[in-house]
Amino acid sequence: MEKGRTHAKTLKIGRITWITLIGAGILLVAPFFIQSPAFLQFMILILWYAYLTTSWNLVGGFAGVLPLGHATFAGIGAYTSSVLFIHYGLTPWVGMFAGALLAAIVGVIIGAPTFRLRGAYFALATIAICESLRVVLENMQKFLGFDINGARGILLPLKGHSPINYQFLDKRYFYYVILVMLAIIFYITYRIARSKLGYYLVAGGEEKEAAEALGINVAKCKLIAMAISTFFTALGGTFYMQLVHYIYPRGIVSLDLSFEIAFIAIIGGRGTLLGPIVGAVLLVPAAELTRTYLGGSYEGVHLMLYGAVLMAVMLFKPRGIVEPLETFYRWALRKFSLQPVMQTDRGV
Amino acid sequence: MDIMATTIINGILMGGVYGLTALGLTLIFGVMKVINFAHGSFLMAAMFVTYYLFQLTGIGPYLGLVITLPLLFAFGYYTQKLLIRPVFKIERDVREPISVLMLTAGLWIFMDAFALALFGAFYKTIKTPYKGAVLHLGDVIISLPRLYAFLTTVILAILFYLFLKKTRLGRAIRATGQDRDAARLMGINIDRIYNVAFGIGIAIVGVAGAVLMPFYYVHPVVGVVFDIRAFIIVVLGGLGSIPGALLGGIIIGVVESLVAQFITATWTEGIIYAIFISVLFLRPEGLFGFKAEW
Amino acid sequence: MKKIATSFMLILAFGFVLMMWGTSARALAADVVIGNILPLSGPVAPIGKVGREIREMAVEEINAAGGIKSMGGAKLKMIYADSRGDPKVAMTEAERLITKNKVACITGAYQSAVTYPSTEVAERYKVPYLVPVSVRDAITERGFKYTFRVAAKASWYARDQINFIKVLGERTGLRPKKLAFVFENTDWGTSTAEGWRPLAKEAGFEVVLDEPYPANAPDLTPVVLKIKRAKPDFILFVSYIADATLLMNTIAEHEVDVMGMISSGGGHSDPKFIPNTGKNSLYHFDACEWEADLNRPGLKETNAKFKERYGYNISPEAANVYASMYVLKDALERAGSADPEKLRDALAKANYAKGPGMIVPYEKISFDESGQNPQAQLVVVQIRQMPDGSIERCTIYPWAVGRAGYEPIYPIPSWKWRKANGRAE
Repeated sequence: MEKGRTHAKTLKIGRITWITLIGAGILLVAPFFIQSPAFLQFMILILWYAYLTTSWNLVGGFAGVLPLGHATFAGIGAYTSSVLFIHYGLTPWVGMFAGALLAAIVGVIIGAPTFRLRGAYFALATIAICESLRVVLENMQKFLGFDINGARGILLPLKGHSPINYQFLDKRYFYYVILVMLAIIFYITYRIARSKLGYYLVAGGEEKEAAEALGINVAKCKLIAMAISTFFTALGGTFYMQLVHYIYPRGIVSLDLSFEIAFIAIIGGRGTLLGPIVGAVLLVPAAELTRTYLGGSYEGVHLMLYGAVLMAVMLFKPRGIVEPLETFYRWALRKFSLQPVMQTDRGV
Repeated sequence: MDIMATTIINGILMGGVYGLTALGLTLIFGVMKVINFAHGSFLMAAMFVTYYLFQLTGIGPYLGLVITLPLLFAFGYYTQKLLIRPVFKIERDVREPISVLMLTAGLWIFMDAFALALFGAFYKTIKTPYKGAVLHLGDVIISLPRLYAFLTTVILAILFYLFLKKTRLGRAIRATGQDRDAARLMGINIDRIYNVAFGIGIAIVGVAGAVLMPFYYVHPVVGVVFDIRAFIIVVLGGLGSIPGALLGGIIIGVVESLVAQFITATWTEGIIYAIFISVLFLRPEGLFGFKAEW
Repeated sequence: MKKIATSFMLILAFGFVLMMWGTSARALAADVVIGNILPLSGPVAPIGKVGREIREMAVEEINAAGGIKSMGGAKLKMIYADSRGDPKVAMTEAERLITKNKVACITGAYQSAVTYPSTEVAERYKVPYLVPVSVRDAITERGFKYTFRVAAKASWYARDQINFIKVLGERTGLRPKKLAFVFENTDWGTSTAEGWRPLAKEAGFEVVLDEPYPANAPDLTPVVLKIKRAKPDFILFVSYIADATLLMNTIAEHEVDVMGMISSGGGHSDPKFIPNTGKNSLYHFDACEWEADLNRPGLKETNAKFKERYGYNISPEAANVYASMYVLKDALERAGSADPEKLRDALAKANYAKGPGMIVPYEKISFDESGQNPQAQLVVVQIRQMPDGSIERCTIYPWAVGRAGYEPIYPIPSWKWRKANGRAE
């Protein structure tokens, strides 16, 4: 492998890399060609889910546990930044870090005892925590002196086009914000996957006792992953509030959102780098399209399809669809002779 | 004072019904270590079966059990056989099989949506002769349909307990739950046991659905709320423990009743979750369970 | 790195497919496209269902009668979007309806929590949003120019309910002193309760219970027992259908005796409320904006037609929707165009007093500066048994429009008496 690496460095940039760069370029300029705001919103939603699932993946994929209550942290982020904005006029650009920090702290506090639990119990515990937070928020008109309006939620005071207050009239800004956020979390995941932390996490997830026997502090690793994951999830929560202008407990601290994030990541392929993103790209449009075209005419049909897809994937490809997709793609490439038959590591 | 007594009694009765739903789940969870997220949907299905049986033939929910029970058993049996087992097999060696969990979640979404498309959105009730009937014990009022439900729960729990302890099939199920590989070595057909256990678990849910209809309503998403309570009770009572499910259910029912009296009903879910979390951390084996190896 | 590139390709390929979807065909130029956001799935799906049915009936009538004549007979084309009862879904749908389907106007969304943020989307895009039913006050208190509400505000419900209780007491000399507030804990219930509190205080009532509850609770007996313990004279409800049913039946079971009960439409006026509660619902008062026995031209025929098609009476909410559809048609006629801006101006000048849609008890439908219909008013019905044994909602108040021969039965007879005399299940 070492040989291949140094060898690759001296090669010219391969075809694959060109295509990748072009692809990235398209993503970057796409907003200028998309005329329909609904479509742009749609793209933003896909990116947002990709972002959330990638953040989730640090815990749900690499650390090998199944958090089913991650929306809790999106909620913490959204509520914190909004409350600080409404009460102190603090721009959400700063407020969101306060929310993220809080989420990280809460994540570690929750994680410490919860990671000791076995798989199914861990999942149930995360569900319970998510729902508990929702109930608490619904029942309190004020929290620590701040108005949160209980079940009725918070409406963001609109400032029109105010970049300093994280408010834009043009959706394109939101597109780029989430694109950058996605790139960042993706890069972080990439680095962690190739770092000691990443190896420790995977080892700890699969064979905990063996890892510990080797001197790895599995618990600490999991907590670090949790802190990072919840930190970024909270930032995603603030993004959502800035986009939609309205949050209420059941809308953001919801099991629905928590489950969606988990489903998408798992269907895409948890523990892989691209799984969550692929999952988002395929499932979010599927859900939107079925709801758009079927939701209005036959009640519930779009949900039936969603459930059926989930079951089908679990039955046939429980590891997620990234792998079979890649296999298929490589087969297609070979079929159309876009690649030499020999799989040498040319290009980067 | 009599209101307090009524409150607590109602909590116990309702708790019995919760315990009944948990009974089926504790079997499934305990024996197969499967988190069945679709449990509430099966309850909903059972309630619809009971509803239509009554509307179309006039057969009451309790009498109708002769039809409901086998139907739900078959439903559970084949769900396990055709849907869950294949997924299970792939993950046989994985420590924490989450694919099954996801599968049942997909099943849940599918079933609820299917019910909506098939049965429509309206909330439906049935009108049995004993609907709304009450028993007066002094100033304390006891709802008869709930009392019947509770008695059914107790009887069923006792029968089930005896089944597990005394019959060969029951013992085989318990053995499989304790140590799958040892059981296989003893000649037990694990797959068949799983199918049967799941079927029985769902059949029990069928009973729960039948006893709920006289005083409740049915609707495609009615199962979710009961599902959540069922899981909490299973953990509270101890995995695989029948007295645990029953007692856990009663505790939850009583807590529910009392929370509304002393705070407001909007806090109920929160308090129940808090209890759940405490049990998870302080005594994960529940009231009657034992520290499991899995 | 190759893996990344590979998957990237897949994403892009998919993206291109989506791009093509993004640029789809427009509706037939001749039709006027109206977007409708409703809870077609989820816990309040029954309401969405009825909302859709009444819209279909109204639009069929309008189209059959020649459509929008000032636009050459253009027909109304309805697009339905499922909000799932979820505000963020509704907001996405609103945006889609506006930008992709290019609707002239949006109607919806029943639940106040859903209507509130989705109207904001329409306001941003400058597309009119007609609200037939949602009552949260703030919906028309934001200085919006494109939101038009036909229904009364939640605070008016509160005002009329408290007023009715007072009036009832004055008329009979039996004045209730203690009130209990029992309401579902989302936007709708909380807003209405907020309206009750100051008015009750002003009118000199003592509030012995102020109890929010979760609408989808599996057992509402604890709430009912709490009511019983508080011993109120009058109970005020805000409930959806599931909880309304449970509450009523449980109140009957536990024999909670009060002088009267009044609710705020919604679940209590759902077509299934009376079938599911039977005689337990007798003597219950409900404040709503319509009833099948009002003295309005064309009302009986319209209701009969709806009943024949769908199997139950028009609900008060559906009546508002029906009227709203005709207000929309009238506005389109005057605007002569499906352009949202022109339509908005036409709606602002609405003055609908006569016509097939005027089955509601208001003097007329118009919209003030804030988009609110100032003429929206409530009636109070009481659920009563007819000579033939059937159970119906009878308009009682205002006295002048009450059904002839039906005086309010107040106070409610005790449950003991009712159970002994066949007035309870």
